[in-house]
Amino acid sequence: MDLTDTIELPTTSPDTVPVGAGLSIFDPVFLGIDEFGQPVYLPMIYRNILIGGEPGAGKSSLLNTIVGHAALCPDVRLCLLDGKQVELGLWEDACDVFVGPDLNHAIRTLRRAQTVMDNRYTFLKARRRRKIGPNDLFGQILVACDEIAYFSATAGDKKDQELFAALLRDIVARGRAVGIIVAAATQRPSSDIIPTSLRDIFAWRFAGRCTTDVSSDIVLGHGWAARGFSSNTIDPNNQGAGYLISEGGIPALVKAAYMTDADIIRVADYAAWTRRQSGLTTTAERHATTDIKAAA
Amino acid sequence: MSKSTSRSPFGWSNRGGNVTVIEAPVARSYRRRATIAFWVTLGVVGLLAATVASHYLHPILGALLGGVIGVAVGAVVFALIVAWPVLRVFWHWLTEIVLGLVAVYGWNALMQSTPLWGSLLIVALVVGVPAAIGPVRRRIVAWIWCLVVRHRLRMCFAAFIATNRSGSLPLILLARPTPAGERVWVWLRPGLSLRDLEQDGQVQKLAVACWANEVRVMRASRKYAALIRVDITRREPLAAKVLSPLPDYVPTDVPANAPTSPGMPPVGLDLPDVPDEPVTAPTDTPRPRKPRNPTTTTSPSDGFDPSDYA
Repeated sequence: MDLTDTIELPTTSPDTVPVGAGLSIFDPVFLGIDEFGQPVYLPMIYRNILIGGEPGAGKSSLLNTIVGHAALCPDVRLCLLDGKQVELGLWEDACDVFVGPDLNHAIRTLRRAQTVMDNRYTFLKARRRRKIGPNDLFGQILVACDEIAYFSATAGDKKDQELFAALLRDIVARGRAVGIIVAAATQRPSSDIIPTSLRDIFAWRFAGRCTTDVSSDIVLGHGWAARGFSSNTIDPNNQGAGYLISEGGIPALVKAAYMTDADIIRVADYAAWTRRQSGLTTTAERHATTDIKAAA
Repeated sequence: MSKSTSRSPFGWSNRGGNVTVIEAPVARSYRRRATIAFWVTLGVVGLLAATVASHYLHPILGALLGGVIGVAVGAVVFALIVAWPVLRVFWHWLTEIVLGLVAVYGWNALMQSTPLWGSLLIVALVVGVPAAIGPVRRRIVAWIWCLVVRHRLRMCFAAFIATNRSGSLPLILLARPTPAGERVWVWLRPGLSLRDLEQDGQVQKLAVACWANEVRVMRASRKYAALIRVDITRREPLAAKVLSPLPDYVPTDVPANAPTSPGMPPVGLDLPDVPDEPVTAPTDTPRPRKPRNPTTTTSPSDGFDPSDYA
């Protein structure tokens, strides 16, 4: 899997094509290790993940790992929504759409994703198929959203917030079979922040440290704290540790992998470089987004 | 298991009442089971042996031989079942007993085959080298903990985990060291379920009894509800930083022509740079209030005001 010694990149000649990292979103994402020292791999295709936990619990680090994996997959387009800008901002050049603290832009982006989803379903129906597979006609789309609470409870007015939540719920609910993956992070996904109808349809859950058993239950699902799985018991200094519900359905204590900022920048630069060469991100699109941001 | 009531070191509880190795009700129940097992064995084995023997001997002799064999086998089964509470203790402590025997007899054999300095040297090497090498020492200590934990869990099951009427305890299967502590597989007997162990406070009691930080129980098999896994946590194995392998996929000499987003001048980065503006949020603008009773607003036009009659 280590491709560093097999790739030789000429740094000067401009007419060469950079080789992608050879990852696919159909490969499980390396998430970290579990408490027994075994590596934890999380299959993200056809799945969605909700990440919760108190500030500094390592949510963004985990989200960066997932986005980083997707960025190195040549067949995945990235839609990043980050009210805090800096958590996912390092991937801005590698992604297709980057939404900062701008609720209208977020809603427009989700609407685009929704339209793509509808078109894909129409296409699949016309071909008498039920879901996409690897090496399909079209790639996958990762919608990563850090701090959902900013879009669904803080910015804008009530109507727009509800519209945002409804669009996101629709994408989470219907997007899986056409390869639209949602990874969302927030501190405390209680019902005043996210509608429970949205919260409860995420398949995978990750609960970083929470301040109370109830908060942990809100992320993981009701009743886990009573059965001994409360992320309240995690050491606050142990960032990145948390309970993960994935395959098997029982929470497992895992420690999420960590990338330094320099590493993220390096991976993001490489991803941007390979994506530009392969035409995955169109520069016109990026100019459009920057224009919108400048206008906003 | 053994409760001494007298100075005599060995003996059964029945006649002299000197020492109780097996408590009276337990002994009674085992004797009853043993009697049943004796008669069943006698019947089945006797019949089979008699049938086979009748082929080779005179039928009456064959039947007699079958009866004798049945009695012999039945007696062995009877003795095994009556002595089972004691045999079980030997089984539970088998590893320790074997280790003790190996230590004693090994030392004896070593002393007889080599001079004193040689045996001391070998013992020093056998004990000292693993003790000096960290990973080996930790692995051995982890195995010792596995032995300890099995005894502690057995004690817990006997002491406070609800058992069925015949008093059979869960079977403690393998124990394995993990980076966090130990993992023990347990086979539950009829009368117990995972829910009994998950009851409020049970796992905490287990943790206390195992001298651990935390104990978790969960199913170990999708097929059998009886097979459960007890995870005993003593250490925090997740304290160290886990590095993501993603940067390894990227060559180290990425050309520095990666695009940079349009820069932003450092303006408005501190509190004095941002003016104090009045709040004019669009949501706070008063909407034209819809009157509750539309008839009242239209009524003044024609000179009739119903509020006069209120």
